[in-house]
Amino acid sequence: MSQVTYLEAIREGLSEEMERDPSVFLLGEDIGAYGGAFKVTAGFQERFGQQRVLDTPLAESAILGVAAGAALRGYRPVAEMQFSDFITSGFNQLVNFAAKTHYRYGEPVPMVVRCPTGGYIHGGPFHSQSTEAWFFHTPGLKLVAPSTPADAKGLMKAAIRDNNPVLYFEHKFLYRRAKGEVGGAEDVIEIGKSHTVRRGDAATIVTYGATVSLSVEAAEVVARDGSEVEVIDLRSLQPFDREAILESVQRTGRLLIVHEDTLTGGIGGEIAAVVSDQAFEYLDAPIRRVASLDTPVPFAPPMEEYFFPSAPKIEAALRELLAY
Amino acid sequence: MKIDIVMPQLWQSIAEGTITRWLKKPGDAVQKDETLLEVSTDKVESEVPAPQDGTLLELLAQEGETIEVGKPIAVLEGQGAEARPAPKREMATATASAPSSPSSGGPTARRSGGRFYSPAVRRLAREAGMQSTELDALPGSGSGGRLTKNDLQRHLDGRSRPAAPEAPLVYSGDDVEVVPMDNMRKAIAAHMVRSVQTSPHVTTVQEVDMTGVVKHRAAHKATFEREEGFKLTVTPYVASVVARQLREYPWVNASVDGDRILVHRRVHLGIAVALERGLVVPVIRDADTLSLRGLARALHAIAEKARRGELKNDDFQGATFTITNPGVFGSLIGTPIINQPQVAILSTGVIQKRVVVVEDDAIAVRSMMFLSLSYDHRLIDGALAGRFTRSVVERLASTDPSAAL
Amino acid sequence: MTDIHRPEELIQIPHGLGPEDLKKLHYFLKLTQGFEDRLISLYKQGKIVGGVYTSRGNEAVAVGTAFALEARDVLCPMHRDLGAALVKGDPLRELMCQFLARGNSPTRGKDSNLHHGNRERNTLGMISHLGTMIPVTVGAALAEKMSGSGAVALTYIGDGGSSIGDFHEGLNFAAVQRLPFILVIENNQYAFSTPNHMQFVCERLADRALGYGIPGVQVDGTDVLAVYQATKKAVERGRRGEGPTLIETITMRLRGHSEADNFSYVPKELIEAWQAKEPVSRFENALLQRGVLKEADVQAIEERIAAELEDAAQFALDSPMADPEEAARGVFAP
Repeated sequence: MSQVTYLEAIREGLSEEMERDPSVFLLGEDIGAYGGAFKVTAGFQERFGQQRVLDTPLAESAILGVAAGAALRGYRPVAEMQFSDFITSGFNQLVNFAAKTHYRYGEPVPMVVRCPTGGYIHGGPFHSQSTEAWFFHTPGLKLVAPSTPADAKGLMKAAIRDNNPVLYFEHKFLYRRAKGEVGGAEDVIEIGKSHTVRRGDAATIVTYGATVSLSVEAAEVVARDGSEVEVIDLRSLQPFDREAILESVQRTGRLLIVHEDTLTGGIGGEIAAVVSDQAFEYLDAPIRRVASLDTPVPFAPPMEEYFFPSAPKIEAALRELLAY
Repeated sequence: MKIDIVMPQLWQSIAEGTITRWLKKPGDAVQKDETLLEVSTDKVESEVPAPQDGTLLELLAQEGETIEVGKPIAVLEGQGAEARPAPKREMATATASAPSSPSSGGPTARRSGGRFYSPAVRRLAREAGMQSTELDALPGSGSGGRLTKNDLQRHLDGRSRPAAPEAPLVYSGDDVEVVPMDNMRKAIAAHMVRSVQTSPHVTTVQEVDMTGVVKHRAAHKATFEREEGFKLTVTPYVASVVARQLREYPWVNASVDGDRILVHRRVHLGIAVALERGLVVPVIRDADTLSLRGLARALHAIAEKARRGELKNDDFQGATFTITNPGVFGSLIGTPIINQPQVAILSTGVIQKRVVVVEDDAIAVRSMMFLSLSYDHRLIDGALAGRFTRSVVERLASTDPSAAL
Repeated sequence: MTDIHRPEELIQIPHGLGPEDLKKLHYFLKLTQGFEDRLISLYKQGKIVGGVYTSRGNEAVAVGTAFALEARDVLCPMHRDLGAALVKGDPLRELMCQFLARGNSPTRGKDSNLHHGNRERNTLGMISHLGTMIPVTVGAALAEKMSGSGAVALTYIGDGGSSIGDFHEGLNFAAVQRLPFILVIENNQYAFSTPNHMQFVCERLADRALGYGIPGVQVDGTDVLAVYQATKKAVERGRRGEGPTLIETITMRLRGHSEADNFSYVPKELIEAWQAKEPVSRFENALLQRGVLKEADVQAIEERIAAELEDAAQFALDSPMADPEEAARGVFAP
């Protein structure tokens, strides 16, 4: 199989699902004629027409509300936020309408919101944020965050086929850097299932998105001293794979949670709570977290570097955890 | 305000300390950092200073009493500003709060108020039906001597082997003086038993011609003593060669952790020092980077510290290989027990002039010494043990008496 | 458009509506009023969970707009549009159960009021955040346009709700895409306690349509037939693919924001002036004057409605609430 980039994998997932299901359509700013700010949908409008690749006004609340309305009328819209940062302008449509409709009156709202997320790209406070925690807290939304091309494609298919609103966090840093093989037209990756990317019994790292590869890098360095660390890529954030985390921690007794999102109120806190609740007697060390600073994302490269998790920061935390 | 003086944690794994002597009595005025009492533990003897100015109100424990770490032993009436509690290290501060120095917020096993056991350790112990006293006696390899889950698992794995039935001790009352073991003896006993239970020991012996070393030492010892103020001994010569050879034979400078081999990148030499009450093994860090003179200084310093009872926690931690010298007591050959979690220990015998056959079948009188290496046969095979010992022998034997110090 | 100070003006019967249509409109107006009387009574007995928001003064807008729609058209009623839900076919028992938070209500007691939708009846369920349903209903209009169903989608917003961002985003989106969408502003002078002059300074909210390049019309919201006619025109325009329409209806909220609100902030004279144009009796009087209805007919209708509402209320009161565990179900669709 040939190697494709993460971005191409998203594109494949989208186009295959559009071929398969005529109710799938795309809407967003600059996605049609221009092909999207990151060119994910380049060529789509020529292929699928203006109606199914809809260029919208600059209006996130309208984009998300329209997507929800169309979903209630039998379509499977995929709405693109140009940057996940801008999703706040449509926050209410997601958390109050899309998320609560099935619970309130039983009608499914099958829609996908593509959220180009994250930093390490010198994007500053408004083009680098990790916004997943805001939605993690909202019952009724599913959240996925692939870290590899295979997952990017398989989870896109799963998200489109899901009967719920799914926020699809695609990492901008990985778009053209992550390369790999991808599955075929029916290789759908189940939402809620993690992927253990590295086996070990000395400690467990739970992470997702761009920090997966950084965590593996740190684990490789530590392995040279004889400690094999397990790395779990969550892939799905809501629901997240409690079973895999608990199984691993029960073996290793030590847990490090790594995420690019800021520390306080991040998803890591919930994972830590679940583990201390359900695997307390297996813990041989305090649960630790590596995350971004509790500040807005700074712009200048040295500050950005200081802000985000890095392989050395993860390694340092890992060593402390292992030495405990 | 009243301040409790507690039994300090003097060394990573100790759980209790014995009060040797009170230097102050109730009613005495004391100044901050003035010594209140002396305590003794299995590894360390130390003084306990006053945390601030004040008056000693009450002694809660008498001389000779053994008190759990963290338990109050006296009450001080403090003067002036309120006593600040000792800075506590946070249990689990995320590195995000201090990314440039993530170690500053690292987790440290809590120690105050008795030994800390993690939930995993408590669960394992409960499932194995262990008493807390049994748990308390186990040495730990974690931060601050914490008993880790792996430590306990290893212990349990060992314990599950069928033990030989213990023969009852038979003695008649008047013929025996019963002396309770002190803490140090208890710790040595536990460590020795654990070591032979953990590692299948094999000992290999080789003989080394120390004539070059002896001559070299003789040539330099007067100058050396004048310059350094202490005597040049043979031990630095051995330590120097061993430290450098350990770099060539990394598996001898290693530890076994379950089914993993931990190969240490740095060479920290443990040096057995005999004290009146027993044996301690302080460590010389990065011994392979020290010159002969540097090693001599380090050895002297650490031995002096040991004799004065001033060794601190750090002085005992992290040795990757140990040298012991029963030769000072006239022993020809030792079969030492490995200092866990290391995998080998080298013993040096007494240097004696012996008649030996040298080149061309000539007979000569040479200064000879037996080197014996006890090694953990789980990791080290006879071939490796032999090659390593041989390399030490060859380098010692080829010492050039005329080389500079 | 209609001068609100001339309530005596006779209602014009538009072309195309026969006597049966007029009687239906009359029935739905009376039913709305009767239903809400019943709600207020149940509320005072403590039988209602939460607040009661009536459509007093607003009935003609709800009934008249919905009456201009076909079954295939998508409707999203807001909280003062009970009449629209009734016209669109929500059964009385179901609605009563919804207000009483029963386990067999459309939301199984998980939400209240008119916060329910139904795929078969082509209705969308509002949320409390005003304005949110404008983009959602625009999305429904987009779906109808894509599927080529010929259906239109209609929702409402108040004078207060017209200030929120979704009003602009939704209308602009619909205009750009020329969607079969109708937004009905129910300008009933007060948003809770906030009078219009504290809400906006433009003369007519309908004029905002200019900014979107779409038609904006203003009608007398107390005249059910005027409302019907304006909506009908907007529906036809939508079906022809000419895009959305903004309709501003002028009414007066004749009760408090909710039954917990004594609306003391509204001048008495203003209420009295508008009472003269109370939409239900206004239409009833017009039908009586024209001989479409007789007094006896009115009495018969009132009796029929009373019986229907009695049945619905009793059914709801007899229905159990959902099991508490139901609270944990249904967050995600299978």
